[in-house]
Amino acid sequence: MLLAALLLLPFATATLLLVARPEAQARMLAMASTLVTAVVVLLLWAGHPGTAVTVVDRDWAPAIGLRLVLGYDGIALLMLVLTGLIFPFIIGAGFKQQLDRPATVNALLLYAQSFLFGVFAAQNAFLFYIFYELALVPVFFLLLFWGGEHRRSITVRFFLYTLLGGLSLLFGLAWCVLQTPAPYSADFTALHALRLGTDVQLWLFWALFLAFAIKLPIFPFHSWQPDTYTMAPLQGTMVLGGVMLKMGLYGILRFVMPIVPEGVLFWRDLVIWLSIGGALYAGAIAFRQRELKRLVAWSSLSHVGLLCAGLFAWNSYGVSGALYQALAHAVLLVGLLYIVGAVTARTGTGDLGAMGGLKLRTPRLAALFLLVLVNAVALPLTQSFVGEWLMFNGLWQHNGWMAFAAACTIVLGAIYMLWAYQRVMLGPDSGRPALADADRDDHLYLVPLIAVSLVLGVYPGPVLDLLEAPVQQMLNTLTALN
Amino acid sequence: MSALILTSVLGVLLLYLGVFGQKRLLAPVAVLGLLGAIGVSATGWWMDVPLFAHMVRFDNAAAAFNMAMTGLTILLFLFGVDYYARMERDVAEHYALMVFSLTGAFLLTSYTNLLVLFLGIEVLSIPLYILAGGKKSSYRSGEASFKYFLLGSFATALFLMGIALVYGVTASFDLGRIQEVAMAQGAAPTPLFLLGLFFIAIGLSFKVAAVPFHFWSPDVYEGAPTLVTAFMATVVKMAAFAGFLRLVQFTALPPTLATALLVMTVLTLFIGNIVALRQTNFKRLMAYSSVAHTGFLLLVVLGNTAASTSTLFYYTFTYGLATVGLFVVMTLVKRAANGSEEVRSFRGLYQARPWLAITALLLLLSLAGIPLTAGFVAKYQVFLLALQAGFLKTTVLAVAMALVGIAYYIVVVREAFTADEQPLEVQVTPLNGLVVLLCGIAVVALGVWPIQLP
Repeated sequence: MLLAALLLLPFATATLLLVARPEAQARMLAMASTLVTAVVVLLLWAGHPGTAVTVVDRDWAPAIGLRLVLGYDGIALLMLVLTGLIFPFIIGAGFKQQLDRPATVNALLLYAQSFLFGVFAAQNAFLFYIFYELALVPVFFLLLFWGGEHRRSITVRFFLYTLLGGLSLLFGLAWCVLQTPAPYSADFTALHALRLGTDVQLWLFWALFLAFAIKLPIFPFHSWQPDTYTMAPLQGTMVLGGVMLKMGLYGILRFVMPIVPEGVLFWRDLVIWLSIGGALYAGAIAFRQRELKRLVAWSSLSHVGLLCAGLFAWNSYGVSGALYQALAHAVLLVGLLYIVGAVTARTGTGDLGAMGGLKLRTPRLAALFLLVLVNAVALPLTQSFVGEWLMFNGLWQHNGWMAFAAACTIVLGAIYMLWAYQRVMLGPDSGRPALADADRDDHLYLVPLIAVSLVLGVYPGPVLDLLEAPVQQMLNTLTALN
Repeated sequence: MSALILTSVLGVLLLYLGVFGQKRLLAPVAVLGLLGAIGVSATGWWMDVPLFAHMVRFDNAAAAFNMAMTGLTILLFLFGVDYYARMERDVAEHYALMVFSLTGAFLLTSYTNLLVLFLGIEVLSIPLYILAGGKKSSYRSGEASFKYFLLGSFATALFLMGIALVYGVTASFDLGRIQEVAMAQGAAPTPLFLLGLFFIAIGLSFKVAAVPFHFWSPDVYEGAPTLVTAFMATVVKMAAFAGFLRLVQFTALPPTLATALLVMTVLTLFIGNIVALRQTNFKRLMAYSSVAHTGFLLLVVLGNTAASTSTLFYYTFTYGLATVGLFVVMTLVKRAANGSEEVRSFRGLYQARPWLAITALLLLLSLAGIPLTAGFVAKYQVFLLALQAGFLKTTVLAVAMALVGIAYYIVVVREAFTADEQPLEVQVTPLNGLVVLLCGIAVVALGVWPIQLP
């Protein structure tokens, strides 16, 4: 019931916005919808029995193995909570940004939310795939209508790149479905029960993994990301980086690890080195960026590389760390992007070279920026610290050199982030006319995000409890293999 | 059978209406007649009896194909009310010829005798040669007609030669008898039989525009009147594929021929999609995309599993719906853009007519195969079927080519949803709006609730 509300409420509100086009009330209406869904996910969390739950289970189109199976376990619930809690902030960012045609913007955002809930609640691989692709369509229009320079070509490139992964997944999926006992089934339970031959797993791994590697993205499948993140309207980047990226993480846990465990064992060192190498590379490039938003895009790429490495360490530290960090990354990215928006709106430029000395004019904004930043550089007692420390431990258990390289990316991250802060906020007064400091709305937006990052940094218990059982269950397949 | 008679009489009736100058009555009579044909076909459901001395058999598959093709023709005729409104003369002939062509299509879906197959192809094609030249004053239309006629006759000659060779081996035109001979010969058929089947396959490949027999399609699609192009892309394709599948089901393709056709499939998938990427004219784009879809459909025909008929029906029908809708949208855009058929002229459609643009979006997404539209289910079924039939590598290619397909459809979407400086003055008559909307709703409804033939 609650789960159905999660899927239907944003969808219904979005359709209402698109049909009636109440431009003046659009933002408030969307905000109300996301706040209700936020409450609903919290209720779901409160009522979580600790084991996997199936809410709906019925046939839809038996011809193609599509069944309507919705449910969640601890991991999926974490993703649902993430989606539910981060969307009020994404909608909220629109109050300052003031894009034209707000009804359409908010409708597209709410459609994306509805489909994302679908992705995380689907227990049938086919259903997952449908939502996975559908979530792309509203984002496509968001980028095409409200993107920045070169939006037409960048949007199409992004769309095709993502669909390349999607089709590869579809192919792998079709192949797997045909291996299940007749009549074929695409339910996760049936797919997870498959025991495929080792040689098959070696190539099937890439068919399944490619989709999520592009979605995340990890090196060398990342070339769409910096341009898309930079060009997208602020809210679009928030959806892409805050939530959609987590579909990749979730997909790896749902498809790759249970279906082709031997493939994972075989390829994981390569994947981890690619991820960490990509993280170092992205960090180094972030260092050289002159544009604030592009810097955030590259830093996100660097964080994601680490996330993927932690996941593929494939022990309870690494996997829980990656999932915990996924939550932290969403909070952090939305906060950072909001600051980018605020700074850009005030100075009228995104160029780091042209900024500086902002702290003298806007001390409160500088303080807020710093508080968001401590999460980004994974200072102890912040949420990112917990996640990165867990991943670091997980990698250490797997391979000491990997852990060392991962630690380097964390250090690198701290350097470029703090340097960015320095270039924006510190330094001599650039002699600009008076700038408005952070107002009540800015505080209302950023303080909750900062509070979450600090509270979960000090007390990560509730989230880790949620993850413990499903992660352990997943890792048992690994123990069975060895 | 009654449907065959009904449509033949309907065609003659339409010609007489033309003679007596009743232009306004044409579309209503034609649509009513075709609705009757659907009803008559529906009564034939589960009545699987051989007719005309075992030359024709209307089984369920044939009935389903016939109803679907008639339905698509009705949609085209509804569009025709507006399309032919400016044409003073010869309108009756257009309607009548299309109805005759449809009669030929009925024969293709239901033949059990090679002579009927030949008859069906000719009855289907000859009206099309005339229709392609329907715009008499247009140089391109004349070229299309001539090209189609010349190449078509050549293919038909080969086709007839094939039938003669097969007859030489089997001493029969009957598919049942041919099946027995094919079974007896097993994996090593006599060269004569092989050559005969090969020629027949070439004839059919020409009709479905498979590479390397596709050269006519871009020029004919571009030159023919849009309504005729839409008819060719939907009804004719559906009929030709139904006929092709029936042939393959009965002859169980000898391995050599299957390999040859698989090579053709690979080429069709590759060339159709890659060349479509480079098109800027919408009609040529649709022609090459039609070649590309032929590649997917050939996989279904070659796979020849129990699900082939159902998959082929679903794919061609939903492809037809999306194509009819898009050609109507294109015609409306073309009028607003001073006769330009370029993809570029779609720019500003969303500004001018948001709902038309959104429906066109659904149709394009269906052709591209994005989930929750019928095109996605269709493509997925093809992949599943091809994997089951053991075409692993070809399926990988097909999946990659599906991505290329998305690339060229999404460019049209991008144009339609990009704002233009000059607003596009698109006029939509209620009937045209209805046709587009019906197609849009149908591709989504069929995508959400996929149908399967029993």
